[in-house]
Amino acid sequence: MSCAVVQAETINVIVVDPSGTPVPEVVVFVEQDGAKLRSAAPASAVMDQRDKQFVPHVLVVQKGASVLFPNSDTIGHHVYSFSKPNNFVLPLYTGDPHDPVTFDHDGVVMLGCNIHDHMLGYIVVVDTEIFGLTDASGHVSLRVADSARSYVVNIWSPRIRDGKQELTKRVDRPSTTVSKLTFVLQKKLRAPHHNQTEAVQWSEY
Amino acid sequence: MVRVLVVLAALAFALALTNRVADATEIVDGHNAIISLDIAYVDVSGLPSWTEGSVGKLRHGDDDFVMNRMFIDYSGRLTDTLNAHVVLEAYDDDLGDAIDFTQAYVEWRPVPKSATRYRLKLGAFYPKISLENVDPAWSSPYTQSFSAINTWIAEEIRTFGAELSMSRRPVSLGGAHAFTIDVATFWGNDPAGSFLAWKGWSVHDRQTRFGDKLPLPPLPQIQPGMMFDDQDPYVEPFREIDGRAGYYATAEWRYGKQFLLRAGHYDNRANPEKEAGGQYAWATKFEHLGLQATLPGEIGLIAQWMIGSSQMGPWLNGAHVVDIEFDSQFALLTRSFNRHRVSVRYDHFEVTQNDQTEEDNNPETGHAWTLGYQFGLSKKVSLAAEWLSIKTHRCANEYYDLPETVTETQLQLLFKLRL
Repeated sequence: MSCAVVQAETINVIVVDPSGTPVPEVVVFVEQDGAKLRSAAPASAVMDQRDKQFVPHVLVVQKGASVLFPNSDTIGHHVYSFSKPNNFVLPLYTGDPHDPVTFDHDGVVMLGCNIHDHMLGYIVVVDTEIFGLTDASGHVSLRVADSARSYVVNIWSPRIRDGKQELTKRVDRPSTTVSKLTFVLQKKLRAPHHNQTEAVQWSEY
Repeated sequence: MVRVLVVLAALAFALALTNRVADATEIVDGHNAIISLDIAYVDVSGLPSWTEGSVGKLRHGDDDFVMNRMFIDYSGRLTDTLNAHVVLEAYDDDLGDAIDFTQAYVEWRPVPKSATRYRLKLGAFYPKISLENVDPAWSSPYTQSFSAINTWIAEEIRTFGAELSMSRRPVSLGGAHAFTIDVATFWGNDPAGSFLAWKGWSVHDRQTRFGDKLPLPPLPQIQPGMMFDDQDPYVEPFREIDGRAGYYATAEWRYGKQFLLRAGHYDNRANPEKEAGGQYAWATKFEHLGLQATLPGEIGLIAQWMIGSSQMGPWLNGAHVVDIEFDSQFALLTRSFNRHRVSVRYDHFEVTQNDQTEEDNNPETGHAWTLGYQFGLSKKVSLAAEWLSIKTHRCANEYYDLPETVTETQLQLLFKLRL
């Protein structure tokens, strides 16, 4: 068996807020020049609906990926996105009656339910196969091809209020060798979405 | 007896409907019906109830076991974006038919094409004012009896018209903030204000149904040969008298579920000099402001303010013959402990008079304390207890040989069945 083994370097990305607290659930993706790590078809993904919430709240997929939207609640949901050109509507449903939605354009796809206005979710479509989400310690490991002359690391989260220049780091090689990249956010984060719904149980009728 | 049979038949029909849908709170085949029955033991002291044509502010005049309320709240999905909603209420009193509608409308919710979403309601519904009455059939999840403000809305305010709602959840703010503006135009609701002037504020949980006739106290000014003798001895608050549409507008800012601020204006644009079919048109307008916040310790706060005015009758000496101003405020604190909920509310209310018409004496001032406790025994059965005390000073009580200053109290023990 012959595999074209591409030498890859692991980079560790850490995102912290202005007080140094790690930020979880941040999308991290790497755009690199002149090299491809692998050329597999984009992996499909699932955006579930449970307890009138999108699960996960933030999903990152590669351009061209298909996403299934099963509804695990017993009540109907009417999922839509107005984020052009990735906009779509799934007519009211329970269970899993709809075909997956293919996202052919990169960008942030904001999800809503036409029945439950407070439901909010994000799919981040990226034009690269190198992406991930930070864990509870604000950390994610990504593999970048050794042959890449340079690459750009981008971060995104609905909670981040910093300007674009703070969300991008360019790494030129071989002049710089980086294995750990820390993003220190300048602005205080917005409250996480789940905190906004967990407080006093105001009626939703 | 016929009334009881009608109510039982409606209940049986509703039960048959919910048995078909396994869980009443689920959408199955696009149908969703919630049926509720409250049985109460009531212990009251004070004045005879307004429901018996007096000026008492409570719904029940005697100590008794009563069928406090039965309702059917039905919503049906006509299409993916079109919903029909009707609410039927049954009360054990003589103010109307055994069972009748309190709301009936269709709502269109097109799928948003941008961060601004639109909704259109057509039919008969409540203007978006109350922050208390947020449960099915406009019930309050906090206390059995509504605040003075929302009791008055339950009594006299209902709009038969169209409401356009525009809301925006700016992506730039992370989706936590939502801004909503509602504008509506409506027919009917011209006599609204009669009951507030001639009977005063109240604290109870009875919602006027489309066909109800609210009995007026035996006011001297509506007796034969007196100034307002065209008035029937009751108020039909939803009637159209002058052929002029009214309007309201509301603006709301919501931050997640932690904070909500709402302000609005209502004007029935009634011509105060018109009368038809035993009902006068009252030019009633008011401003309202509401606040809902989650305080430390998971305590919920709801506060509402209302200030308004109403005029009725011919123009005489620079004013309409009846010219009142009214205002009320309340603050409610509520806290859930698993299946228990405790709520406390303070209400203040007032009516002042600008006119010099001695024969029509409407001022009053008062306040109320309400303590509510609820225990959810199961998903379908809950128990509730409520103690309520209202102290009022009302000059017009002398017409009926009743004390001008009076304190009314009520203790209610409720068994609530919800299917």
